[in-house]
Amino acid sequence: MLRRDFIRIGGLAFAGLNLPKLLADETERTERSCIVIFQNGGCSQLDTFDPKPDAPADIRGSFGSVPTSVPGVHFSGLLPRSAKLLHKFAVIRSMHSDEAIHERARQYIFSGTKPRNDLLQPSYGAVVAKEHGSRNGLPPFVVIPDKDLSAEAGFLGPSYDPFIAGNPNAKTFSVKDLTLPSGISYEECVARKDLLARLDQGFRAAEQSPLLESMDEFYQKAYSLIASPAARTAFDIGAEPDKLRDAYGRTGVGQGCLLARRLIESGIRLATVFHGGYDTHTDHEKNIRPLHTDFDQAFPALLEDLEQRGMLANTLVLVIGDFGRTTKINFSGGRDHWPRAFSVALAGAGIKGGAVVGSTDKQAGEPVDRAVKVEDLAATVYKVLGIDSQKEYRANGRPVRIVKDGVPVQELLG
Amino acid sequence: MKYAQWSFCFVAFVTPLAAADWSALRIVPQNISLAKTGELQHFIVLARDAGGQEEDVTTRCAISSSAPETVSLDRTQRTLIGKQRGQAQITAELQGLRGTTSVVVGDRASEVEVRFSPDVISVLTIKGCNSSGCHGSPAGQNGFKLSLFGYDTAADREMIVNASGGRRVDLGNPEQSLLLRKPTFAIPHGGGRLIATESEEYKTLLKWLQQGARLDSGGARLQKLEIYPNEQVLLGKGAKLSAVVIGRLSDGSTRDMTREVRYSSSDETVAGVSSDGTITAGESGLTTILARGLGGVAASQIGVILTRAGADFPKSTANNFVDELVYEKLRKLNVRPAALCSDREFIRRVFFDTIGLPPTPEEVERFVAEPRPDKRAQLIDALLQRPEYASFWTVRFEDWFRNNQLNSQGRSMGKFKEWLSEWLAEDKPYDEMVREMITSEGDTFQQPAANFWHPATDFMLKKFDVKKATPTVSRLFLGVRLECAECHNHPLENFTQDDFYGMSAFFARMRVKHGTAEYRRTWYLDEEGEVEHPVLKKPVQPKFLGGETPQIASGEDRRISLAKWVTSPKNAYFARATVNRFWHEYFQTGIVEPFDDFRSTNPARNKELLDKLAAYFVDSGFHLKPLHRLILNSRTYQLSSRPAGAGNAADRNNEKLERLLFARYEIRKVPAEAQLDAISQVTGVAHPFRNYPAGTRAMDVFAADAPDDFLVTFGFPRRDIICERAKSPTLGQALHMINGDTVLKKVQAPDNVLTRWMSQEWSDDRIVNTIYESAYSRPPLDGERTAVRNFMQSETAAGRSRRRALEGVLWTVLNSKEFQVNH
Repeated sequence: MLRRDFIRIGGLAFAGLNLPKLLADETERTERSCIVIFQNGGCSQLDTFDPKPDAPADIRGSFGSVPTSVPGVHFSGLLPRSAKLLHKFAVIRSMHSDEAIHERARQYIFSGTKPRNDLLQPSYGAVVAKEHGSRNGLPPFVVIPDKDLSAEAGFLGPSYDPFIAGNPNAKTFSVKDLTLPSGISYEECVARKDLLARLDQGFRAAEQSPLLESMDEFYQKAYSLIASPAARTAFDIGAEPDKLRDAYGRTGVGQGCLLARRLIESGIRLATVFHGGYDTHTDHEKNIRPLHTDFDQAFPALLEDLEQRGMLANTLVLVIGDFGRTTKINFSGGRDHWPRAFSVALAGAGIKGGAVVGSTDKQAGEPVDRAVKVEDLAATVYKVLGIDSQKEYRANGRPVRIVKDGVPVQELLG
Repeated sequence: MKYAQWSFCFVAFVTPLAAADWSALRIVPQNISLAKTGELQHFIVLARDAGGQEEDVTTRCAISSSAPETVSLDRTQRTLIGKQRGQAQITAELQGLRGTTSVVVGDRASEVEVRFSPDVISVLTIKGCNSSGCHGSPAGQNGFKLSLFGYDTAADREMIVNASGGRRVDLGNPEQSLLLRKPTFAIPHGGGRLIATESEEYKTLLKWLQQGARLDSGGARLQKLEIYPNEQVLLGKGAKLSAVVIGRLSDGSTRDMTREVRYSSSDETVAGVSSDGTITAGESGLTTILARGLGGVAASQIGVILTRAGADFPKSTANNFVDELVYEKLRKLNVRPAALCSDREFIRRVFFDTIGLPPTPEEVERFVAEPRPDKRAQLIDALLQRPEYASFWTVRFEDWFRNNQLNSQGRSMGKFKEWLSEWLAEDKPYDEMVREMITSEGDTFQQPAANFWHPATDFMLKKFDVKKATPTVSRLFLGVRLECAECHNHPLENFTQDDFYGMSAFFARMRVKHGTAEYRRTWYLDEEGEVEHPVLKKPVQPKFLGGETPQIASGEDRRISLAKWVTSPKNAYFARATVNRFWHEYFQTGIVEPFDDFRSTNPARNKELLDKLAAYFVDSGFHLKPLHRLILNSRTYQLSSRPAGAGNAADRNNEKLERLLFARYEIRKVPAEAQLDAISQVTGVAHPFRNYPAGTRAMDVFAADAPDDFLVTFGFPRRDIICERAKSPTLGQALHMINGDTVLKKVQAPDNVLTRWMSQEWSDDRIVNTIYESAYSRPPLDGERTAVRNFMQSETAAGRSRRRALEGVLWTVLNSKEFQVNH
């Protein structure tokens, strides 16, 4: 236990809380995992979790709305399956930011810290990797299918950068560089590895440098990953029953979510699934319909699968995007960037199912009630994952907190 | 060659000395002035031995005042006190040696008025009240917010006396003021009990309240904080030194602030510092002691050695002044320099460092066989003339100037790269390059230098942003990080918001036009426009950083005068920042480090070296090649990466110091582009880049649009923020080298070196030899030769072909550490 935790717990115990129970909670939290579904490009709040059926047609769009499993709450007609499961997850409708450029907005929402000119803040996965380390010898932080500048380690350094999984929906899916190239047998790989050890020996004996030690360490990790049945099993999406694969949907986001669940089950701590082109400046409705259809299959399947396996209580599922989209459909039939009001969803890991936090005005353009900052969302995520969001790292010689001034959204916490 | 035959002989004098053999005595500080009677001043006496090592002997020597009725002494307190107006001479004596200083006592009114600044602010500072973790944080604490370390006197007094309805002071009943009851913990206080009611601090605050809690009509402000000694080496664990801190105030008086500042040490294991300024030595190393107060800050560089350099300290030949100054510092801190690297090590190292490629086996053999004594100098000259020199260093400049896809939207990225490359190939003066960039305008396709401004665009608003331009210019060309000062006065430097906005005002009239179709940008100057100060809400006049306000005619481009000032040979920052940037490339650590963070609290580790390099750069007309030549020809650059006395841990007093003081060559990863080019060269298979002709080298590619997988994995930077390339290894890199396409495809390629050599019927030994020569610039050792032979045998025994076994050898060499690093 860290000294900081001890002090905090000590303080709370003094205030009359039950210490053993609290300790148990703390341990549990640090063992929690997280799956982030990222809606690439920014999703319309109106066409997802915050429909406005009474607004004029050029605002409400043509998808209509459907009731959810929570009385009085409606979702867009594009998300009927998700709507039926709202009692299992929570939605914040009043997210509020002022970053309207993709790169900056993503860095912001992935870190809870406003992007700066001279410092790249680490994203959720990198912080989790640093704070909680690896489990079962597997990389703690994985992105599916490919890396994105928002899901990086920033100033924590490349050691905490994500492992890149590739696209699990591809017929020939195998994780890049993890499996041996075709034609090279494991035996040959080992023979080369042995020769490498012998040839490195002389140089390593003569030269002393932390750099060489660190290279050694990564080569060892790489070889143990290559040899690890756990790693191969974790990424072997083909081992999932066809029926389950179909249930998630044979789509990028469907198989991505399934792979993410598989990885979490094997010991990976945080997996980010990128989904989209949601950046629909033209022909918005036509372009997003298939994306939402895919999402509305994958997301409910993931929640149900996690629950059936008893993993939901220990896995935070987070649905976020760059920002929201403009309320009024533009002359090209598109919706443009809109950070001032947007929706996110959270599930599992103690998040209160059925909670709907905040509300927006008649056009879903501004929060009217309980505006939630990106910092607050981040503070919530870190709290759920057992990380002190006020912890200070040092970057460029100055102290930098993981999240500056965020307050966890209490309404979501059980 | 002035230095060719010149040897160091200082070593001969240095023999272990008994602690009592002193050669000089001095009193610190010198020329003391006391504002009025009753004022006191801390001082120390330092004795120096023949080896140059000093020790604090204040309590061991005899000290006298020439006029005790004017200035009296308290040796145990290390203080002198003004008794009446006049002058006195203070003399310290030890073993027949004398050290003196003069003291003047002024005649300012002896009625002691407690001033808000500096008196009250000093208390708030030494007690930590206005530090960043407490009320000095941007948000304050519980509504009580002070300026960081007291830079904003008026705002602080307003906050204390008037804010929150004046609840913090009770002038009718001063003892009942929150200002006193909180820190004494008479009522609960989140910061705890900080002040005792019987303390001097309490009395100061109380007196100020009793006198009416005024801001002080005199208004003396701190102009400069000084710490003495500002550079010192301590001998032995536990050695002590008392720091003396003096504040120079705006009314011309000085004030002893030794007990009124907050001290900190950048490395507590090397030396700690107590609240009264006593520095205590720990492990050997270097640390910076900071003193802060009244919004000012001063730094002292403290070195700690456990034993002094003995008679066996190695003698070395200096190739040029670089060595002279590096070795002098090494000797002072008793850090042994490594031996000279071998010819083979040198040629591989200098190839990678100047042109980003390894030498071919032929180049290595020719160099090794060359008998001329000045062959290293010759090789350096030859490399600096090669076209790859420009290619390789262009990539460094692209990193620094952030030539990237996102900023330039890809279109004119190549224009900027070409422009930089031509400039470097011709070795045109760097000051001209900088002036051209700072004053550039126009279409970025027509005016390549104007691509410099891309990072200063506000993407959202599609306009020029002075707040992005200002820190970029100051960091790149002055080595000063001004980012902090945009929002608050710099906590570690005497730069303020006024400095930030004064610099910004030079760019106040810059504008940008975006082309419709292809994002192309055109920079132009408006005829009017000012930058507004965020606090004063008034237009700011252009002001040079830490300097004067130039007179600029109304129709004139303000940037011209800025560019002239930046690149002036007289500018204290420009040449130093530039030479330090290049030094950092060669040694992986700057003389000032971080290399672009010059400030008084981050002192150079070898000030004389930095100054002389800067002067050399100015004298060479700001040409870069003479600077490269000077550094590359120094013995310091040519030292082995293996530390002196390697293998015998007792011989090595401090690994970290070796790196910090350049006692050996620092092993580094070969940069991404150079590693890929080296793999191509060694395997004989060029790397394919999309949209580039076959045979193009990685360092000549700029298509960040679809960056190469290998380059991205190995740390090719996005360049969207100012930061160094990632230089640490990663898991992804190891996996990519082991299993990835890049190495494997080239090792297996049907047109690679193995195919060629086998068709010429080379023996295994000859092939292995050549692989070693091309990858490591050396032949295999006997043990390595045997290991490879055994591998070849067992591979063929396992049923794999000779070709396949040789592929295994080539693959292994490319995966080895020796190949992937420069050493």
